[in-house]
Amino acid sequence: MARPHMEPYVEFNEDYRLFDFAGYKDAHYKVLSLDTDTGASSLKVRFDGGYARKPGLCYSDMEIFVLNGEMKVGTETWVEGHFAFIPAGVALGAIEVAQGAEAIVWYNDSEPTFEETDRDHPLALKEGFISVNSYLDRPWASGSIVSPATATGCMLKLLRFDPITEAMTFLYCMTPEFMQDNISYHDCSEESYHIWGTSWMMQFGELPTGGYFWRPPYINHGSFRSKLGCIAIGRTDSKLHNYFHFNPWTNPDDNQARAASFLYRQRPQLFQWVASGGHNHPHGPQGQLKPQKPPHDFETPGYGKRPDVSALANQTYTFREMDHLHADEYVHKVHHAHKIGDDHDHDHDHEHGHAHHHGDGEIDHKH
Amino acid sequence: MSKHVQDEKPPMTAEAKEWFDKEIASQEDRYKAIVDEQDGLIPEREKWYTDFLEIVQTRGFSVTGDTRRPISKEEVPEKPDRPDAMRVVW
Repeated sequence: MARPHMEPYVEFNEDYRLFDFAGYKDAHYKVLSLDTDTGASSLKVRFDGGYARKPGLCYSDMEIFVLNGEMKVGTETWVEGHFAFIPAGVALGAIEVAQGAEAIVWYNDSEPTFEETDRDHPLALKEGFISVNSYLDRPWASGSIVSPATATGCMLKLLRFDPITEAMTFLYCMTPEFMQDNISYHDCSEESYHIWGTSWMMQFGELPTGGYFWRPPYINHGSFRSKLGCIAIGRTDSKLHNYFHFNPWTNPDDNQARAASFLYRQRPQLFQWVASGGHNHPHGPQGQLKPQKPPHDFETPGYGKRPDVSALANQTYTFREMDHLHADEYVHKVHHAHKIGDDHDHDHDHEHGHAHHHGDGEIDHKH
Repeated sequence: MSKHVQDEKPPMTAEAKEWFDKEIASQEDRYKAIVDEQDGLIPEREKWYTDFLEIVQTRGFSVTGDTRRPISKEEVPEKPDRPDAMRVVW
C-alpha cells in the first residue's frame, strides 16, 4: 500500500510534534499522510521564531508552500503563498525564520533527509527548481484546462507540471455558491489542503480550513458545493482526467473498469496493444492477435456492441515496412538497401514468431 | 540521464526508521478514526444521495463545464444490494 485513503482529515485537531531528526530538525510537524512503502510524506511544519538551518540538500524531491509568516531562504524571502519545488540534490540556502512561519512540506520520494552543503549534488536536476509567490505571480485560470471540465467558479493556478508523468501541483479555489452536480474520479491519486474556507462533497461532508485529503485513484467524490468559497493547494501524482458520472454507489473497481472502457472506445489501438501485453504487432501474421473484450461500463452496458465502437476496436492497421523493425533488423535493412558490406547469407535469429519484411517489402522468411 | 540523486540516497537511519514506524502506527489510528466518522455519516449521506439524484433529474447532471443534461427517470441508478454500497473511504 502506498498511502491509506485519508479523507477527510482535519489537522487542527492534532498537536505538533518535535522534528528530532534530519530534515527540519528542531521545527515542529504534523503528518498529513505518509507513504508506508517509500517514506514519502506530506507534512505541516511550524518554524518557531529564531529557527535556523544551514544550507543543505535532500535526497528526495521536495515541495514547500508557505501558509503564513516569513522565511529567509538563501537570498530569497518567502512569505505566505510562496511555493518552491526543490529537486533532489539541489542545495537549498540557509533558512532563517525571525518571527515564525507555517508551511506544507512534501517529501516526494522518501523519508526526510538532510545533508549540510552549499553545493548541488552532481546528479541534481537543477533546471527543475521552482520558486514563486503563487498569490502574486501566477494567474488564476479556468478549471477547463482539463476536459471534461469543472464548472465555472472553480479556478486553478498551476504551480508545477511534470512533463513526464503530468503530475501537477496547483492552487485551486471555489467561488461563493460554487456548485457542480456530478460525481468525479480520476486515474491519479489526488491530495489537497484547505488553506482557507470550506467546501462540501456528497460522500464526505464538509472540508473546512485546515482540512486535508489524500485520495487514491478511482474514488468517488462529488457532487460539490462551497457556500462561502475556499482556497486550497492540490497535487496529483500523474495525469488528471475527470471521469464524471451520477451513480453514487459505484466502488473503485467499477470506476476503474469504466475508465478502461473509455480507453477501449476512445483510444482503441492503444487499448488493444496494452491489453495484449504488447503482442498485437501491427504487421504480425494475423494483425492484431486477439481482439480484447470491452471492459464493463456501469453507465453504458453493452457499449461494445455499438457498430462504431466495435468497428474501432476490431479494425486492423497494416503498417508498412520500417514502421516496426527491431534495432538489428533496421541495420540489416539499411545495409541491404544501400548495398553496404559484403553479400552474405545470414540467419536472422529473433525470439518471437512473426513475419518480417526486408528490402522490397516481400515477406521473405519467417522465424 | 539514467542515474538520479535518489539512487544515491543513504540507507534509512535508525532515527528515521523509528520515526517512520511510529508515524505509520499513528496514521493507521487516524485512518480508523476517519472510517468510523464516515460510517457515522451514513444516514445523512443517504439523504445527500437522494437529493443529488433529484437534482440531476431536474436541474441536470454536470456533463462538462457548465453543460448540464437532465437525467431521465429510467437512467437513475438503483442502490445495489451489496455490503459496501455506502462505503466512501477505501
